[in-house]
Amino acid sequence: MSTLHSSTQSSTVMARSPLMTWRTVDILTATMLGAAFGIAYWGWGQLYNGPITALKIGYAPLMGLFSGLWFLAGVVGALVVRRPGAALLCEVVAALVSMLPGTEWGATVLISGILQGLGVELVFAALGYRRFGLSVALLAGAMAAPLEWFFETFSLPAGGGGWYADWPAGDKLAYLAALVVSGALLAGLLGWMLTRALARAGALSAFPAGQEVLESRAV
Amino acid sequence: MLRDISLTLTAGERVLLVGPSGSGKSTLLRALAGLVDSVDSGDLSGVVELDGRAVGSRPGEVGLVLQEPGAGVVAATLARDVAFGLENVGMPRADMPAVVTRALEAVGMSDLPADRPTSQLSGGQAQRLAIAGALALRPEVLLLDEPTAMLDAESAEAIRAAVGSVMQQGITTVIVEHLLGPWVPLVDRVIVLSPEGCLVADGPVKDVLAEQRAWLLELGVWVPNAPVPDALAPPVDALREPRAGDIVSASTLHVGTRAVLEQPIEAKAGSLTALVGPSGGGKSTILHALAGFVSPTQGAVSIAPHTSAPELARTLAWVPQWSSSTVIATSVLDDVLVTTRALGEESPQSLARARALLAAVGLTHLEQADPRTLSGGEQRRLALAAALHHGPPTLLVDEPTIGQDRHTWAALVGLVAAYQGLGGAVVAATHDRHVIDRATTVIAVRPPTRSPAIRRPSLVDRCGPLSLLLGALLGIPAGVLSPHWSTTVGVIGLQLLLLVIGLGRRTPTAALRILPGLLAALSVGWSTWWLARDVDAAWTAALRVLAVVIPAAALIPAIDPDALGDHLAQRLHLPDRPVVAVAAAVHRVQDLGAIWRELSQARRVRGLSASWRHPVQLGRHLLALTMGLLIRTLGSAADLAVAMDARGFARAYRRSWWGTAPWRWADTALVVAWSLPVAYAIWAR
Repeated sequence: MSTLHSSTQSSTVMARSPLMTWRTVDILTATMLGAAFGIAYWGWGQLYNGPITALKIGYAPLMGLFSGLWFLAGVVGALVVRRPGAALLCEVVAALVSMLPGTEWGATVLISGILQGLGVELVFAALGYRRFGLSVALLAGAMAAPLEWFFETFSLPAGGGGWYADWPAGDKLAYLAALVVSGALLAGLLGWMLTRALARAGALSAFPAGQEVLESRAV
Repeated sequence: MLRDISLTLTAGERVLLVGPSGSGKSTLLRALAGLVDSVDSGDLSGVVELDGRAVGSRPGEVGLVLQEPGAGVVAATLARDVAFGLENVGMPRADMPAVVTRALEAVGMSDLPADRPTSQLSGGQAQRLAIAGALALRPEVLLLDEPTAMLDAESAEAIRAAVGSVMQQGITTVIVEHLLGPWVPLVDRVIVLSPEGCLVADGPVKDVLAEQRAWLLELGVWVPNAPVPDALAPPVDALREPRAGDIVSASTLHVGTRAVLEQPIEAKAGSLTALVGPSGGGKSTILHALAGFVSPTQGAVSIAPHTSAPELARTLAWVPQWSSSTVIATSVLDDVLVTTRALGEESPQSLARARALLAAVGLTHLEQADPRTLSGGEQRRLALAAALHHGPPTLLVDEPTIGQDRHTWAALVGLVAAYQGLGGAVVAATHDRHVIDRATTVIAVRPPTRSPAIRRPSLVDRCGPLSLLLGALLGIPAGVLSPHWSTTVGVIGLQLLLLVIGLGRRTPTAALRILPGLLAALSVGWSTWWLARDVDAAWTAALRVLAVVIPAAALIPAIDPDALGDHLAQRLHLPDRPVVAVAAAVHRVQDLGAIWRELSQARRVRGLSASWRHPVQLGRHLLALTMGLLIRTLGSAADLAVAMDARGFARAYRRSWWGTAPWRWADTALVVAWSLPVAYAIWAR
């Protein structure tokens, strides 16, 4: 029999090793969560376009305060599947799907998806895919912002979106700050809360996050 | 879940597995298929062997068919879906068609065209497709998890015929079912599990059913030739009198390509109208029309479009087939009270009534439980209780009795009867013969006769997914390289010309897809002008957005997910398994959109509205919808993972592919054509 640990702190459960060997349910969950977020982006857009338009007419860099929602897929994908590449895969599929009903930003959405997913992925990779707590989620959400910000505010000859290339530097920096704060809160905090709620609802029993809940209940 | 089960099946045996819900029948099936690792958690001990070696050594040697029709569908067309297992074991492409044809013949589907879209199959056809997909891998054992639970009588009969022909081939067959009667002639052995997951009876079908009859009835199992259970009357104070108001009605209806109602619905107080018809044939759609969720293309319903949420709740209640959609509160008791609270009618009596309702449907012990953790059958009972608590004049209910044992069936039917007794009108979509027998009116719903869609192919339809994607990406340099808005105007002109040439008659729909881009362009232009005060720069920034958006709006929708998978794997040599998963996910986008709408309708019908004028309420609303969507998504990903692993996907690192990935002259032409705007932008620099 295994020894019972008396500590109240529940330990982090990692995905079964080897980490690079994805189970079918890992792959499908990462891609289908991505698709679901693609649909959710579209659903949210229908309801919060009002306030976002108000910000755009007012001080445009503040609209970055809403952008964190777009980084959510990557954070949740990583927190649920806990394998290398989960954040990237989930975010890219979300981007792909959100292009289908009609597109605001054309094929650059795909590039944005890659850049945002990469930002999230780097944080989890730097920690060796061993840590999935709140602070890591906040950091991952915030780190989705810088690459995306660079892509939107600098016009590169053969690839950049550069939508806001003509803004003054101060406004660009304000936009970065808004993106980082939004990423930390709307992607990091919200993503962590969503994952925890999903685990408590019993929807993640095939994954480490669900295992943690089961083990903490068993103790 | 399961404990100390020891079983030996001999080759060619035909076994019926019986037990109350929650006894672990599905887990046992997954264990027999060697798939417990796929999605289950918890402590696992024991072994499953086939002919003395670990089960699953050869992919597909144990086939598995799931309860929900379509849960295991992987591809967009019939033949391709059957071939999925063959791809996983790397069968050469040339050998596939013969195997696919044989498998489709074995389940009686050879009359359908091989390229019939899987999205257009009825529930019964989807189940037979799943059997064909398993047969393609020459299984030694076939496991079926309540294959007919969600089907009408006629479709169920077709499934049993298909299973009968599988048995003729000498394949060992294990069927989980709760409605035993129709299967008894087909099987020779019955295994019974107790509610605790122990094996309690095992033997020849006639003997077990005779010896254990009383005990099985007590468990609520639908034993053959037992009388229909008597409806169980709820406590007298469980229901309030339905409020005054118009009862929902409809003329004859056509709802797009989905459903036809050939007889008007004139539900009266105290009546039960049963909508009948084949599974997947439009019954749910007619209920949606009655609730005002979709507008009929012909005919009229009594409910006005854009009825406010509270008004809708006062008029009717709706229990969809996926009753988990209606879960709103975080405790069972609160969930029953949601609508009454939304209407501002909570009182001490209403709390007592909620408790009486929970007692009526047997959920008293779960009063404080999180509704999302209930079983499917329990959620269905909760949804009905929650729908009736505020006393709506009309109840719309979709397949209320699926998966219920005899006891809970009696409670549900009794509750509905009591509601009718108080003057409520019920419209129920159902294939349950015993419910239909109780109906005052029975109305048939059928799918519209489909005229084969005459969609004249446009030029873009001749192009493969990679050239379409590349063409869409070429919008980026076209926009970014344009130095000044005067050039961008020319670039956009060229792009619009290409769009019209490429899409022909479908141009107007593409124009609609550009609209969001137009708004984005306005906002980029405005912010640039506001912050930089430079009109020229603002125009350039705004038009750049349009130049980037137009190619994507024109080309992305023409990409076929299956073809995208073929090309990404075979031409770009991306890893096979993620590519297949991406294609499967993109396939389900339509379904996910439908789930989002259903969740939002379920909230509206319970009196909860959302608008950004109340940001906190809106935030809660969006969070709830997102949670609901994610829970359903995780569930279907798990189901699909089991179905795909049962067809050899777990170790499919080197697959073969049913579809080819050609690069045609049309692909080259497309890339050259969409390079022209880029060339023009460079030239203008």
